[in-house]
Amino acid sequence: MAHRWGMAIDLDRCTGCEACVAACHAENNIPFSTPEQAAAGRTNHWIRVDRYYEGAFPDVKVKYMPVLCQQCDEAPCEPVCPTLATYHNPEGLNVQVYNRCVGTFYCANNCPYTVRYFNWFDPVWPEPMQLQHNPDVAIRMAGVMEKCTFCIQRIKRGKDEAAAAGQPVADGDIQPACVQSCPAEAMVFGDLNDPESKVSRLTESSRATHLLEELGTKPKVVYLERGR
Amino acid sequence: MSGNANQPELLPYGKIREDLFRPLSGMTQKYFAAILIPLLIIMFGAYAWTVQLRTGMGVTGLQRPVFWGFYIVDFVFWIGISHAGTLISAILRLTDAGWRKPITRAAEAITLFALMIGGMFPIIHLGRAWYFYWLIPYPNMRLLWPNFRSPLLWDLTAIVTYMTGSAIYLYLPLIPDVAQLAEHSVPWRRKLYRMLSLGWTGSDKEWHSLERAMKLMAGIILAVAVSVHTVVAWDFSMAIAPMWHSTIFGPYFVVGAIFSGLAGLMIVMAAIRKLMGLEQYLTRHHFDNLAKLLLLMSILWLYFTFAEHLTVWYGNDPSEMAVFGARTRARFAGLFWLMVVVNFVIPFVLLGIRKLRSITSGVIASFGILLGMFLERYIIVVPTLSTTRLAAATSSSYTPSWVELAITAATFAAMIFLYLIFSKLFPIIAVWEFKPHPHEDEV
Amino acid sequence: MASLSYLLSEFRDKNAVADAIRALRAAGAGDADIDLFSEEPVEFPRGVLDRPSHMSLVSVLGAIVGGVGGTAFVWYAQTNYAVPTGGMPVFSFWGTGVITYELTMLGAVLATFGYFLWESGLIRKRDKSAPVPVVPPECICLRVRVSGDVAAPTALLRQAGAISVEKKVPA
Repeated sequence: MAHRWGMAIDLDRCTGCEACVAACHAENNIPFSTPEQAAAGRTNHWIRVDRYYEGAFPDVKVKYMPVLCQQCDEAPCEPVCPTLATYHNPEGLNVQVYNRCVGTFYCANNCPYTVRYFNWFDPVWPEPMQLQHNPDVAIRMAGVMEKCTFCIQRIKRGKDEAAAAGQPVADGDIQPACVQSCPAEAMVFGDLNDPESKVSRLTESSRATHLLEELGTKPKVVYLERGR
Repeated sequence: MSGNANQPELLPYGKIREDLFRPLSGMTQKYFAAILIPLLIIMFGAYAWTVQLRTGMGVTGLQRPVFWGFYIVDFVFWIGISHAGTLISAILRLTDAGWRKPITRAAEAITLFALMIGGMFPIIHLGRAWYFYWLIPYPNMRLLWPNFRSPLLWDLTAIVTYMTGSAIYLYLPLIPDVAQLAEHSVPWRRKLYRMLSLGWTGSDKEWHSLERAMKLMAGIILAVAVSVHTVVAWDFSMAIAPMWHSTIFGPYFVVGAIFSGLAGLMIVMAAIRKLMGLEQYLTRHHFDNLAKLLLLMSILWLYFTFAEHLTVWYGNDPSEMAVFGARTRARFAGLFWLMVVVNFVIPFVLLGIRKLRSITSGVIASFGILLGMFLERYIIVVPTLSTTRLAAATSSSYTPSWVELAITAATFAAMIFLYLIFSKLFPIIAVWEFKPHPHEDEV
Repeated sequence: MASLSYLLSEFRDKNAVADAIRALRAAGAGDADIDLFSEEPVEFPRGVLDRPSHMSLVSVLGAIVGGVGGTAFVWYAQTNYAVPTGGMPVFSFWGTGVITYELTMLGAVLATFGYFLWESGLIRKRDKSAPVPVVPPECICLRVRVSGDVAAPTALLRQAGAISVEKKVPA
């Protein structure tokens, strides 16, 4: 049976430490920003931790959640791309094809989660960070849109290794960088088509919600609500 | 000179020909300067674009989440201006309104040039503009086709259709006029006019065919024009962004386009009247009619704007109210209310009060309307993008950079430039259409 | 075969032209033999010099070809490179209906223009032998092709009110 990759994020466990953000940067060759570019709103974080502050000091409450591409089943970003640079692959991933992107920005405008990031310039890495590049991941040039891919290179490697060993992919074998690096083990990744996988079981949880569910995008990232 | 102030058709035929063909020879110093300055601005804009192409879109003021900014505003604005010709030529032709006659060619020229300019922006705003041709369906080695479900492909088809139709619609009534110029004194002009006239002899067969074609084209071009700006509006409507996903955008944009097109037309009319000495042909009567139309469109624009905002406010959907607040009370409030003043209040006063209605006041109102319609496009594009559904991603601010401003300025310069060239090549008033049939029993 | 010649006559009054045409028709001239030349279109009441045309039909045909052809092409392209996007079907008539509409209009535009060029004779091979009069301002020139004796048609034209009548042989 084909895979259908999904993710669950337990907001009760998440500490907001942003290790996932750093890991994603390292794994996916995400270009650095300068302070000026950051001030201009041009940082590039395929996964980011959104913070919402409620109340006034000293009763401030902070709510935070990691937000990444939800790999929506009915993604609003897909039908609007004129060159089919973003499409839905058979494993349920919303794939971004860098080679095909001409940079119309329509997909980014239509994403309700604002999880798409653009390469405003050719990427730069301050010395010696360019030595740390992941050879499995393409480096994107200026003018191309990008976003979280659920570490599709790791998915591919996992499937290849399982096929080489003659085994099916076991639950927990494939972990995107963010999932792997979370110290609180708040993130779980797996095959939604496998009813026994951890992510499938978490999706059944009473705490399970989707982000902006009312829009009908059918996201595949499940957020487990914080306890009250 | 003799001739009723409101019936320039009654001027002697020879004088009409002389007046309308005179600009087609020679070039004064003033004209040379008038050509040179826009050309320099265009060159600077082109340079700005090369900087963008070489360095990346980062040289603009765009930022996540405001991924569309000045270029898209420019795009919608210029495609809007292109509706000038359609309204005047097609609608007035279909309703047989005689006062349109000296205006049709000038308006049709505005349409074609505005389309050419506006049509550049789908290329200019691209992150990898050198691959723009990937949107065109052509057989290729990778066996790929573009995505026709995307509103951007609809844009492409609509604009190509409209540009083809407009060019043909401008060319058809030009044929008899260039045939009359086929004996021009300047050799290269002679060659040009002869080639363009396709050997037109003025036989009744040719005239019948031409008139039939023009009548059909008027109807078709009207249908296309309405669809073109609707399709441009649907770039926004089809998105689920708050306050973009509105069913009213189609008609709203068409009305706004006709509105801005008329304003542009009035300015161009006043300019050519002054600069080419056409006071006897473009009379107060024409400007009066244009002013009344402009007033009507202003009221219609207000109606649509009001309807759009009232429904959002009353519905109180949180994502939409965030944008509504940004537009009317918060960051963009200054621009929003300026837009209302300049699009409705000032035209209502200057054009609605008969004592104040004049060519000058019409031109002032029109400049205001052009500014107002530019602001309207800006207010549609930027506040929605700035105010994201996930509030944590809302942007600080978008300000256009020098690159965007240079390219925007270059578009206005390009319009002036193209128009100046056109008016030197072809008579700006269609001579044969303008003079009523000389043997008609009544006009 | 009787010799062909052309009569070029000038008129100032359009009603006179109408009379002349009626007279010539009564004398046996056909619509194909009569041509008018003028600097503006001249309108006559029905029946004087009608030139029936198929332009509307051609326009509609062009529209149909454009619309059907365009939709067929979109269907072919979308199914040939079938890439699923966002839950929308691979080929959706309404999803690409705008393209159908625009290409319908484009078909109509091109058909109208093309037919105009052909029907008006502008791009057809011209009959170079037929003389084209130089039309003085505010005049209408009537050209009649006569085979044989020119005296009778000449008289008819003068009687109708021609300012001048000139005979020309084919070049």
